[in-house]
Amino acid sequence: MAGRSTRGINGSNGSRTAPARAAALADLLHYECSTLLELFRKKENFTEDVTDRRLVSVPPPSSQLDTRDKLWRIHSALLQCQKLLEKAVAKEEEELGGGKKGKYENKRKLVKERLPLLILSTGELLKAAEGTTSLTPSVEGLEVNVPTGLLDLKLWVYRVYKEVNYWSKTAANTLKELPSVIVKEGARTTRARNRRSTRR
Amino acid sequence: MIAWLLLLSLSTTSTQDGQENSVLRCGPQNVTLDYDSFLLKWEDDPSCSVIRDGLVYELQLLIADKPEHNGEVVVAPAQIGSTHSWKWTSHLPSQCARHSVRLRSQYNNQSSPWMQKTLPDQGEILVLPRDQILEVGSTATFCCMVPDGESIKTMFLYDYKGTNVTTTKISEHVHSLTVHLDQESENYSDVRCETTKGNINGASFHASYPPDDSDLKCETRDLESIDCFWNVGRAANEHPAMERTYQLQGSSCINGRSGKCSQKVKLDAAERNWTLTATNRLGKLEIHDNADLTKRVHMVAPDKVAASTVNPRNISLKWSWTVQKYSNLNITCQVDVSDGNSNTKTENIGVGLTAAVIKDLIPYWDYVVRVRCGTAQHFWKWGDWSKSVKICTKGDVPDALDVWMKVKADQAVISWKVPLTNQSHGEIFDYKVSWAKTKDKNQSNQTNVSRSNHSLTLTLDPSEEYMVTVTARNINGSSSPSTIIIPRSNLDTSEVKTSWISGSNGSFFLSWPDSPNASCGYIVDWCPVFGNCTFEWMKVPPNRTHTTVFSKNFEDGRRYLLSIYACTEGAAVLLQRRKGYIRETKIGVELFKLKYKQEDSAVEVSWEPIPLEKQTASIHGYILYYQDKSGNVFNVSTDDPEATSLTAKNLNISMYTFTVTASTAFGLCGNSSINVTLNPPADQLIMLILISLGAVFLILSVSTIICYRQWACIKHKVYPPIPKPVLTDQWLTLPDEHTSHHLHFDQSYYREVLDIPKLHDQFRPPQPEVDQDYKPFTFSQTPKGYYNKPLKKSQPCLTLPTTGLTSQPGLPSSPINGVFPNPLYNPSYNLVLQSVDREVKSGPEVHEGIPFIRSFSGYQPQSPDETFTTTELEEYPNSPISCVSTYILLPQKTSN
Repeated sequence: MAGRSTRGINGSNGSRTAPARAAALADLLHYECSTLLELFRKKENFTEDVTDRRLVSVPPPSSQLDTRDKLWRIHSALLQCQKLLEKAVAKEEEELGGGKKGKYENKRKLVKERLPLLILSTGELLKAAEGTTSLTPSVEGLEVNVPTGLLDLKLWVYRVYKEVNYWSKTAANTLKELPSVIVKEGARTTRARNRRSTRR
Repeated sequence: MIAWLLLLSLSTTSTQDGQENSVLRCGPQNVTLDYDSFLLKWEDDPSCSVIRDGLVYELQLLIADKPEHNGEVVVAPAQIGSTHSWKWTSHLPSQCARHSVRLRSQYNNQSSPWMQKTLPDQGEILVLPRDQILEVGSTATFCCMVPDGESIKTMFLYDYKGTNVTTTKISEHVHSLTVHLDQESENYSDVRCETTKGNINGASFHASYPPDDSDLKCETRDLESIDCFWNVGRAANEHPAMERTYQLQGSSCINGRSGKCSQKVKLDAAERNWTLTATNRLGKLEIHDNADLTKRVHMVAPDKVAASTVNPRNISLKWSWTVQKYSNLNITCQVDVSDGNSNTKTENIGVGLTAAVIKDLIPYWDYVVRVRCGTAQHFWKWGDWSKSVKICTKGDVPDALDVWMKVKADQAVISWKVPLTNQSHGEIFDYKVSWAKTKDKNQSNQTNVSRSNHSLTLTLDPSEEYMVTVTARNINGSSSPSTIIIPRSNLDTSEVKTSWISGSNGSFFLSWPDSPNASCGYIVDWCPVFGNCTFEWMKVPPNRTHTTVFSKNFEDGRRYLLSIYACTEGAAVLLQRRKGYIRETKIGVELFKLKYKQEDSAVEVSWEPIPLEKQTASIHGYILYYQDKSGNVFNVSTDDPEATSLTAKNLNISMYTFTVTASTAFGLCGNSSINVTLNPPADQLIMLILISLGAVFLILSVSTIICYRQWACIKHKVYPPIPKPVLTDQWLTLPDEHTSHHLHFDQSYYREVLDIPKLHDQFRPPQPEVDQDYKPFTFSQTPKGYYNKPLKKSQPCLTLPTTGLTSQPGLPSSPINGVFPNPLYNPSYNLVLQSVDREVKSGPEVHEGIPFIRSFSGYQPQSPDETFTTTELEEYPNSPISCVSTYILLPQKTSN
C-alpha cells in the first residue's frame, strides 16, 4: 500500500497524466450524455426545463475544498449517477417496453458503459490522493425511489439523464482544474471526509 | 384489572359542544392512497395492540368535499398490528373532481379522530386514471387536477395517433380529456397536463385488443401426448404489457405466443373436446377443437434411413421408428428421389413399414433420397421428412451413341454426341469406329478414337454405300453399336427444295410433311452457310413432323442451313432444306464496292456480289438512289437479291450522287455512295470536229507539199515565162550594170526562197562530251525568239537580221511563232537545222549529233560560260535563241 501511495504522491508518468486523461474521458461522457438527453427529450417531447429536481446528493462546492475533497465529491456524485442510471435503464425497459434497438437505445447503452470508466478513473485519482481505499464513497445503502406512474417514470429517467449530464460536465471541469501531480494530503482531510460521509 | 387499565389507556376524554366525549386513541396511521386503484392502506396505532376482540374502521369517501360513499373494514383480533387496505372500485376517476377519503377506528362506541387523505395532495398534479390498458374501440376520459394555488395551462395527448380528442375545462383546477381509441398504441401513450408554473405530469395508457386467437387444431405424434396449434392473431406484434397467457385443458402453456402447445395425455379412441384459454389484460378467450386423436396421427420422421442394397438401376432402402407404437399402425410412406434436376415420389404401404425399393434409376448416378410417412387408415397428414440420404448407383455400360454424318465428295465426317453423365454410366475410355461397304460387310475397317474426340473423317469411295458403326467403352464394357449408312454421293438431291426460315426466340421452328420413308423418325441437322461447318443435329421421333431447333452455338446475324432427313432402314433421305437467320442484324454501311459506267445519258452502277459473311440479314433486293445537284432524288430498284448492277437512265449532264442500298427486314442497309459527273455528248461532237479539221489540215498540208515540190511545173503551167520585151528606145536603156544587177537580184531572191533551211526535231542521246562553252540545248524550248547574229563575211550567205526581232513585243505568244516544243524537257533533245537544198552552200553546215550552233562560227553567245535556263531566259528575253520560223530571214545573196 505504501508503495502505491508513494507512486501516486511522487507522480509516476501514469499519475502525471491521469487527471488529464480522466478529464478527457469526462468530456467524452458529457458529449455522449448530452446527445442522449437530447434524443430522449425529443422522443418524449419534453421541454428542457420540464423538471429540475435533483437526485444526486453531495456536499456543496466550495473554494475551501482541497484536491481530495473535490475528487471525493465528483466520485461520489458519479457513483450515485451510475446507480440511478442502471435503475432508470432497467425500469424503462421493464415498464415502457424494451426490445427496440434504435439510436436512442444505442446511445443509452454507450453512456451506461462509459460512466463506469470515468468512475474508475476518478476512483484511482482519489486513491492516489487519499493514499488508501478505505474512505472512498459508497452507494451501497443508497435507496432509489422509482415513481410508480409511467409518465412519472419518464420524467424521472429524464432527471437521471440530466444528473449524469451535469456531473460528467462537473467532473470534466474539476479534473481539468486539478494539478497534474496528485499530492497526498494529511489525515485532516480524511477525517473531514468521514464526517461528510456520515452526514450524507 | 390490568386489562381494564389498558383499555382505559385507549381512550381519552374530551369536551366538545358541551358534551363530554371519549376519544379512542387506537386509530389509523401511515395512511397511503394509491391514485391508480384508489387503494387506501393504513396501519394500526401501536396502542391498538391491547384490543383482544377486534376493531372496526369506518371509511368515508368524499367527492368535492361531499360524502359519496361509506364503508367499513373489520379487523379481526389476529389482524391487529398488520397493514389494512380498502379499495374503492367505482367510477371515481371519470368524475373529475377532488376526491378525499377519511377513516377512523371504532371500538366500544368510541371512535378515533378522522384521518383524511385528499387527492391531489398539495403541490401535486394528478391525472387519472393512470397507466391503463384500454381496449381499442372504447372511449377514455382522463382528468387533470391541480391543488389550490395552481392552475392548468394545457392538457394534451402525446404519442397516440387518434384524432378524436376532446379537452374540456371544468375549472381552473380541473380539466378533462376524452379520446376515442380507434387504433392500437405502438407503445405507452401519454395524457399530459401542464400547469401555469411549468410543472408537468400526466398519465400513460396503452390501447390494444383482447385475445383474438382462432383455429385450434390438435393432433398427436406419439399417441401419448397432444400437440395443439392455433392462429395467434394480433398477439404476434403486441406490446409486452399485453402479453397473453395460454392454458390447454387448464394447464399452462409455456410458449403459447408461438401458437403451439403440447401436453402429455392419455389417448383413447374417442372424440374429446380440447380447450385452449388465452388471456391478456383486456380479456379472456376460449377456443375449442373436438377430435379423436387416434385419427390425427402426425408421424415423426423415419430414423436412420439408409440403402440396404445398391444396384445400377435400383436400390433398397430401410429405416427405423423412434415411436414404438408405430409398429402396429398401417403406414403409407412416400420416398422422394432427387437426381439433382427432378424429383420423383413413390409410395409404399405396410404395417409398421420400415423398407422400400426404388426402381428405374440411372446407373452411376448420385441420388438424394428421403422418406416420410402417414397413417394409411384415417390419414391425417404426412409426417416429417427424414434426413436426406445421398446414394450413388452402381455403373453400367454406356448407352448407345447418337451418331450422324456429313458427306462432301469422298470425305465423310462421322460425328457423335458426347455422352452425358446420365448416358455414359461411368467414365468413357474411348470410342470404336468401324466401317465397311454395305455390299461387302466382311471387309470391315475399324479404328479407336480417344475420348476427347467425338468425330472421325473417313475417305471413302463416293460411288459406294458404307455402313459405319460407333461404340463407346467404359469400365463396364462397350455400349450398344450405333450404325449409320453413308449413301453414295452421286445421289441426285437437286429436287430438294430450299426455302427461307426465320428464327424466333433463339431457335428455329421447323415443320415438314410426313414422309412414308421415315421409319425411324427424322433427323434435322444444321450449320452456318459460311465458315467452318461444325454441324449439329437432333433426332425427331417418327410420329412428329415438327421440332424446334435450338443450339447454344447459334449466333445472330449468321445464316444457317438446316436439312431435314427421313431416317430409314438404309441411308437417311434428304427431304427439305431451310436457310435463315436466328435473328437478323443490321447490315453495316459501305457494303458495296461501287463502279459505274456511263452510256450516253444513262449510268450503270455495279458492285461485287455481297459475301455471305457480310449478309447479316437477308437481302430482298437493292435500290439505287441518285441525286442531282439540285437535290432531286430518283431511284431504281430490283427485287433480285443476286443482282449486281442497276442503271439510272435519262440523266442530265450534271454531277450525280449514286447510293446503292440493300433492302432487308431492317429496312435499307449497307448504303454505299459514289459521285459521278456525267460527260456531255457535246464533247464527242467537238472531238469529231477536231478530228475532221485535223484531216482537212493534213490534206491541205499534203497538197501544199505536193504543190511546193511541183512548184516549177505549176509555175510554168500557170505563169509561163514572159518573153523579154524588145526595147528600141535608148532613153529607156539603163546602164548595163544597173539593169543586170537588178534582174539578178530578183532572180536570186526567188531562188533563195527555196533555200529556207528545214528544221528537224531529232531525238539524240545525251551528249556528255559537249563542250562547256556550248551548253546542250536546254534552252531549245526557249519561249522567246531565236535569232541569228550576222555571220562573218567569210561564211556562206545565211544572213539573219538582228534588228526588229527582239524589239517586237508579243512575239513569244504568237500562235505561229514556231517554237519547237520539247515535251520531255530532255537536254539531249536538240534542234537540228538542216538545209533542204544541199546544192545551195549558203546555209549553215549541220553535223548530226553536234548542236547546230557550233556550225555557226558567227554566232556568239552572250557569255561563253552562261547556262541558259528557263528562268534566265525570262529575265533576258532577248538573249535566248528563238527559232521563230517567221523571222528566219532568207539569206541575202551578196551582190558580187
